[in-house]
Amino acid sequence: MHATDIAIRNTTYRLFVENGSAPSAADVATASGVDLADAEAAWKRLHDAHAIVLQPNAVELRMANPFSAVPTAFRVLADGRSWYANCAWDAFGICAALHTDGRIDTTCPECGEAIECEVRDERPVDKQLLFHCLVPAAQWWDDIVFT
Amino acid sequence: MNLFRSEEHINRWLNGRAPGSTLSVEKLNALAQAWWGSRLAPDWQPRSRAESAAILISLGLADDFWTLP
Repeated sequence: MHATDIAIRNTTYRLFVENGSAPSAADVATASGVDLADAEAAWKRLHDAHAIVLQPNAVELRMANPFSAVPTAFRVLADGRSWYANCAWDAFGICAALHTDGRIDTTCPECGEAIECEVRDERPVDKQLLFHCLVPAAQWWDDIVFT
Repeated sequence: MNLFRSEEHINRWLNGRAPGSTLSVEKLNALAQAWWGSRLAPDWQPRSRAESAAILISLGLADDFWTLP
């Protein structure tokens, strides 16, 4: 991966963390001091490399894993801000990436009951919860949104 | 990739589908720490397949389900 693409990727993540929401390609271009077309081209290469995930029909972020650009069933409150995660793994991943305590709010997909899980000192407080991954690793990127 | 309160909830949710892999939340958190912990590092570099596989294996996730393509 070229250094300029990594720089665009790092700026994308930095803005996502700072703002609590996904940046646009224009945001990233401005913050990086590059033309919009160059930022969009970098995003497409990063998407192809599975470093970010773009929306199917637009040069807009869908995922900068573990962060989700769209609302999901996994909300993470940490460091005085909140983000959506793509899945339960990514929800814990946001606390891991930020190296901070946090709280994950989700619901049981079977019964709809609210589930809250605090993360303190990089460990979950409620140790009784279970995680289920339905899709085998070999198929994760066949449909990453479903995964 | 969801959280559940018990195996009973997982089984009802599966509703006859083939199960995937169930982990304790502590194992999931360990996986998240290893997988995402350096995601925001300024010197981030893309991880190779072998490096990702090594993370899974180090956590005992070495069966076919957790084998990367």
